[in-house]
Amino acid sequence: MSIRLQLLLVALTTLILPWAGCQYARELEAALRDSQEQSLLAGARTIANALSAQPQRVFRDPDEVTRFVPGRGDLYVYPLRGAPLLDGYRDDWGIAADPVPWPTATGYAARVQAGSTTRYLYLYIEVDDPHFDAEPSDVHPERDRFDRVDLDLEGPDGSRAYYFFGTSAPGLIAAQSIVNGGDGRDHAAPEPRIQAYWLQSAAGYHLEVRIPANFLGARLWIEARDGQTGASAGVNALHDPDGGHLFSKTAGLDELLGTFIRDGIRATVIDSNALKLGVAGNLGDGAPGDPAAAAQSWYRWFMPIDASSFPPFSSPPDRLGGDSVTAALAGHPHAQWVRSTDGEQLLLTAAAPLAIDGKTRGAVLLEEAADQLLSLRDRAVSRLFDFTLLATAAAVIVTFGFATWISLRLGRLRDAADSAVSSDGKIRLDIPESTRADEIGALARGFERLLTRLNEHTQYLRTLGGKLSHELRTPLTIVRSSLDNLEAEGMSQDQRLYVNRARDGTLRLQSILSALGAAARVEESIRQAEFINVDLRELLASAVAAYQDGFKDARFALETPADPCFIRGAPDLLVQLLDKLVDNAVDFCPLGGTITVLLERRAGAYVLQVQNDGPPIPPALLGRLFESLFEQRQDRGDKPHFGLGLYIVRLIAEFHGGAAVAANRPDGGGAVFAITLPLI
Amino acid sequence: MKKHIAIVEDEPALRENYAAALGRYGYAVKTYGNRKNAMQAFQIRLPDLAIIDISLEDEAEGGFDLCRDLRALSAELPIIFLTARDSELDAVSGLRLGADDFLTKDVSLPHLAARVAALFRRIDALRRPGDAAEIVRRGALAIDGEKMQTTWNGSPVALSLTEFWIVHALARNPGHVKNRQQLMDAANVVLDDTTITSHIKRVRRKFQQCDPTFDAIQTVYGMGYRWVE
Repeated sequence: MSIRLQLLLVALTTLILPWAGCQYARELEAALRDSQEQSLLAGARTIANALSAQPQRVFRDPDEVTRFVPGRGDLYVYPLRGAPLLDGYRDDWGIAADPVPWPTATGYAARVQAGSTTRYLYLYIEVDDPHFDAEPSDVHPERDRFDRVDLDLEGPDGSRAYYFFGTSAPGLIAAQSIVNGGDGRDHAAPEPRIQAYWLQSAAGYHLEVRIPANFLGARLWIEARDGQTGASAGVNALHDPDGGHLFSKTAGLDELLGTFIRDGIRATVIDSNALKLGVAGNLGDGAPGDPAAAAQSWYRWFMPIDASSFPPFSSPPDRLGGDSVTAALAGHPHAQWVRSTDGEQLLLTAAAPLAIDGKTRGAVLLEEAADQLLSLRDRAVSRLFDFTLLATAAAVIVTFGFATWISLRLGRLRDAADSAVSSDGKIRLDIPESTRADEIGALARGFERLLTRLNEHTQYLRTLGGKLSHELRTPLTIVRSSLDNLEAEGMSQDQRLYVNRARDGTLRLQSILSALGAAARVEESIRQAEFINVDLRELLASAVAAYQDGFKDARFALETPADPCFIRGAPDLLVQLLDKLVDNAVDFCPLGGTITVLLERRAGAYVLQVQNDGPPIPPALLGRLFESLFEQRQDRGDKPHFGLGLYIVRLIAEFHGGAAVAANRPDGGGAVFAITLPLI
Repeated sequence: MKKHIAIVEDEPALRENYAAALGRYGYAVKTYGNRKNAMQAFQIRLPDLAIIDISLEDEAEGGFDLCRDLRALSAELPIIFLTARDSELDAVSGLRLGADDFLTKDVSLPHLAARVAALFRRIDALRRPGDAAEIVRRGALAIDGEKMQTTWNGSPVALSLTEFWIVHALARNPGHVKNRQQLMDAANVVLDDTTITSHIKRVRRKFQQCDPTFDAIQTVYGMGYRWVE
């Protein structure tokens, strides 16, 4: 992994800042939530305390505790906003709740809903009875069989009154009561103050009833009866004298509650049945801070509001539910975060018990939309995010730039180190970055020192041959001149033998010395060489003829183009190059083998090849053969080899702007040395 | 009368060997280890021939200085450079300073003696008036084998002894290819191929100074050189 990538990864650790910010925001939110719970709960307690001091303004009958039992015909009376039209439809009641199924033992189905304005109680009764049994004229409910609804009312004074509804034709009707007629018989007499509308449909009939408020006390019994079968649904005042309780909101409590609360909070007072006694306030739809915008904020991806853990909460028109309410009715104040079932609103609910004389008679529930809190957190978090992301981005960019700079410098240093020692062993000493004061500069200086030492050593090695040949020449001359003198003094036959051996030795030494100095001399003669136009074809022809004379053991073959092949060059050096190549080829060519000298014209250059039969060159050596002092000969002959021959070839080839390469013949039967020489 | 030879050489063993060998050939030899001693002696009396090493004790180019001073004392005195160095530059410098020959220490004592004798012969021949018996003529070239003088179209070409013998060997048999070994033998020197090549080059240049169209010495690649008329 590159340094740049590594430092980039390191820089990414600054992303821990926004993460830490998130954690902080979460804790902040938890604390805020807690404090909001406490404050809302305190509000609920305050209201509960205030209300418990004046129970008569809360409960219709502060002394009586009535349980709400649906099975005995207990009804919650919904407050109606305006007086509905008596038409058999309850669309205009404006109540979201459905009518409640009425108790039945016979499978006869009826549903009932009650509502009230200040002056009237309205009943809506829905009976599943497709077959209409009309009321006969001069009706008597005990005797006649027809579809009817019985209504027993307990008056404000506790007296009971019986009414029934039946009709010969659907439409607006009045309730009928049984009165003692003048004939001693009971007659049905209409009670015009209790009006109803009978609407017949395919499934059954609807009855919308309007009863003046002053007819009513605390209880009411409703029973629907089929004229055909006598099956019934509902409660009978005679059979269930304990039932039929009406529960409704307490008049004036809404206004009273309204004085306790502020905007955005809804307060609800419930009785021990959790039925609503009073409601005030509205959960503001457009809470400050525009929660919709906050909810769409992009970092919600990282910090979603986990509403799924909040229990769903609904506030139906008649009663309240939920953990808070349950706890409060059990006597314990309780706050809870909930989510509204209608939409995605988060709510905080806090309920406090409403105790009268030490007994829990109900509860006060406060609800507040949580959007405000969320928007507060969102604002904080979004600013935090903006700042930390800005800081992180800056840190990443700076680190990346720095890393790029470092790796650029290291790359320069690496390139310089790579190319410091060229293939011909020359050493470049100009290392970049070495003037810098930092560690990379120190590294560069280290390289420079290393290369300087290497260069000194290489220089020493390079000149060692020349120096050796020079320094050894004087002592060698002393030996030879002494031998000359010795010979001139006159010697015996034996002495002469030894002197001759010593002389042979000095001759060998001398040839070694001149071979050692050969490269240096070639470099010198290259410096002094002059280029002329040379016909390679003629040069090769004459040289190869000479080689054929000189090397009797090898056969020479020469292939050249038909036309003269002129290049710019130094003929002496070219012959020397050829000498070295042929020398080399002869050494490796088996007895009777052929050495082929080949001249071809290729794109932009002449290619001179010297091929010989013999063993192929090991592939590992191919690239190194032309290096100075490179020698890997297995069989050392009497001729000294210092690995300078092919180096001289390369020097001369490069001096002519060409190149020297070694290869094996495709058939594996020998080696090919090819020299490229550019055209004029 | 014995000829006087001065050997200026800082290596005592070599100096004594040369002295002994030349003494054996009948020369009176005086040896000097450094330039100062040599110059003091030369100012009193000039030798008939001086053999000088280039580097003398702590003077790397002391021989060149000595040669210059000696040439100032006498224009005719034959001077041979004898050196362990064999670089082209040294040879050119030495010959330019007016040395008659430039030998590497590879030369054998008999060869050295032959050189010395040849130079004395040249001096003697120069002092003897008009004798043209030994003159070889090849077109514009005239070689006086006795005086070891060469002329081209009548104008003298100043060749060193080695160069003279190379030209002599080539021109005596025009058209014959002389390989390097033959040329070395003719010049009584042991030289490597590059040095022969540079001698040939120098000879060509000297002739070309007289006649820019000079092209009589031809290279036969891989074999050697020949004189063409």
